[in-house]
Amino acid sequence: MGRFSTYWTFCPCESEPMIELAPRHKYGLAIPGPVMPAAGTFGYGDAYADWVDPSLLGAIVTNPVSMRPRRAAHGQRIAVRGDTLVVHTGWPNPGLRRLLREVRETWERLPVPVIVHLLAGSPAETAQAAALLSTVTGVGGIELGFMASVSRRQAVETVAAAATEGDLPVIAQIPFDRVDDLAPLLARQGADALTLTAPPRAVVPIAMGDSSTAEAWNLEAEGTTDEVGVARYLRGRLYGRALFPLLLNILSRWAQKLPVPVIACGGIASAEDAMACLTLGAAAVQIDALIWHEPSLINVVARGLEKPAQEEVR
Amino acid sequence: MRPSWRRLTPSSAQLSITLARRQIATLRYARPDPPAWGLYLALDGAPSQIPGPGEYVLADFGDPIREPLFPSASDEEGFATVVAPGHPATRLLPGAKVDVLGPLGRGFRLAPAGHPLARLLLIAQVEALPLLAPLYEAAASVVLVVEATTRAQLPSPARFPPALELVHVTLDGSTGYLGPLVGAVEASTVAPAGLERVDTRLCELIAWAECVCVAHDPETYPALATIVKRVRLQPFPDFAQALVRVPMPCGVGACDVCRVATSHGEVRTCVDGPVLDLLDFLPL
Repeated sequence: MGRFSTYWTFCPCESEPMIELAPRHKYGLAIPGPVMPAAGTFGYGDAYADWVDPSLLGAIVTNPVSMRPRRAAHGQRIAVRGDTLVVHTGWPNPGLRRLLREVRETWERLPVPVIVHLLAGSPAETAQAAALLSTVTGVGGIELGFMASVSRRQAVETVAAAATEGDLPVIAQIPFDRVDDLAPLLARQGADALTLTAPPRAVVPIAMGDSSTAEAWNLEAEGTTDEVGVARYLRGRLYGRALFPLLLNILSRWAQKLPVPVIACGGIASAEDAMACLTLGAAAVQIDALIWHEPSLINVVARGLEKPAQEEVR
Repeated sequence: MRPSWRRLTPSSAQLSITLARRQIATLRYARPDPPAWGLYLALDGAPSQIPGPGEYVLADFGDPIREPLFPSASDEEGFATVVAPGHPATRLLPGAKVDVLGPLGRGFRLAPAGHPLARLLLIAQVEALPLLAPLYEAAASVVLVVEATTRAQLPSPARFPPALELVHVTLDGSTGYLGPLVGAVEASTVAPAGLERVDTRLCELIAWAECVCVAHDPETYPALATIVKRVRLQPFPDFAQALVRVPMPCGVGACDVCRVATSHGEVRTCVDGPVLDLLDFLPL
């Protein structure tokens, strides 16, 4: 439990201990608990209003948003294989300006900070978005999501643009297979915290099911699938409990070497899983698509962590 | 300024809200109902927690995502539904418990209370018939247009209420009208000898109906919407409603997997539907 409480701090204005996710930032990002949803799984703050008590969370991470509106991907968007899911939505969103018009009041009412997940486009676009978000009440930070193919230079420039043009802490979500490459670099070059990691990319065949499945899932549609011979494939983000050992492997190698707080994300399915991540040095955890199956999971994990964390701090 | 993010203990009221839409269903039976299997799930919630026509529950059968179940019939205790052969539910024994979330979504919106519907038109693919089954007796006069590839796929008329008027459409013309349901006019205006295309009859029925409910392949919805618009000119909202079947992993509009394109932008099927106004699918 050596590093368990590294980022827990007592804020003079709060009676409860807070976790500081951006200790290097001028304003910081103090959150009241270590559990938050992962980007792309929780909507924009109000989707789970009837299911999840937000006051138990540390923060709410939004679905990815871009400056310009994006439409949903065509064709099949989800495939189940064993205990894992492959999801490809195309990150549909109404664009940042329209989104802010729609959700500003919701975010103001939330009892925890909102971390807006930005689809990192060009540095200029990211700078524009960061400046816009700096004016929004309730937003506590920005999480930048990168393409797996992003160059080191573009990643650094994008983080710098977000940090320079806005006054919000910047969290970089590192692509799964770029941790060794990007995590130390971005931690040195301006990111206030890192999310390890974005869901890995995966490909699954989707024409193997029976005809009723094929029909229900609209397998004939073009767009997200690639046809090779008679088989079709869905490329997308991989979710599932199977990711958790991979996450622990990454955390065990990196969490204590990086000079910024790390947020663990990938297959966390219980308070014990979350505790393991915190023990390995993560400052907080994100619950990903498992919440779709079990909406109360995020509150269960938060309650499960509450007592040990409080005892550790005191 | 950020609000003060103070940790709060959830009140009992908040907890009851959180739990209100989770129910434990008890499987009463799972039996073959060729070509599918029929299930009956008794719910432990109030009668208001029984899914209505077009609404759904997300059931946990052990897969990584929950499965939407639509009622094919319902009473005060629970609802019946239909699943494919080989579905995990077919291996459950009576008395098995199933964790369900819901009811969720917007179902079919028929006439308001106190204004009974007189003439209802139902249009379905044969595979989607169970989705419209709760509406078979929802009006004084109901006509069901059912499309199948061939006669052998059509259920026996004895399985429908006696007052229901059946209109069969088959793609091979083996019985009833010659299909397809939509696109026939574009395909060919001349039917083979002895067969009659369905398009004229379909237009007559749309003109006759007070409300139209559809459960078909979503790819046919733009063409069906065009026909409705042509026949009724200015139909009132929800005159024609269409049920959209797509995977809905979260059921609350969080995951964006179930988005469908409509004439006024994309909507999330799980919360804005799964029953949408058919005219939302009018081609631009």
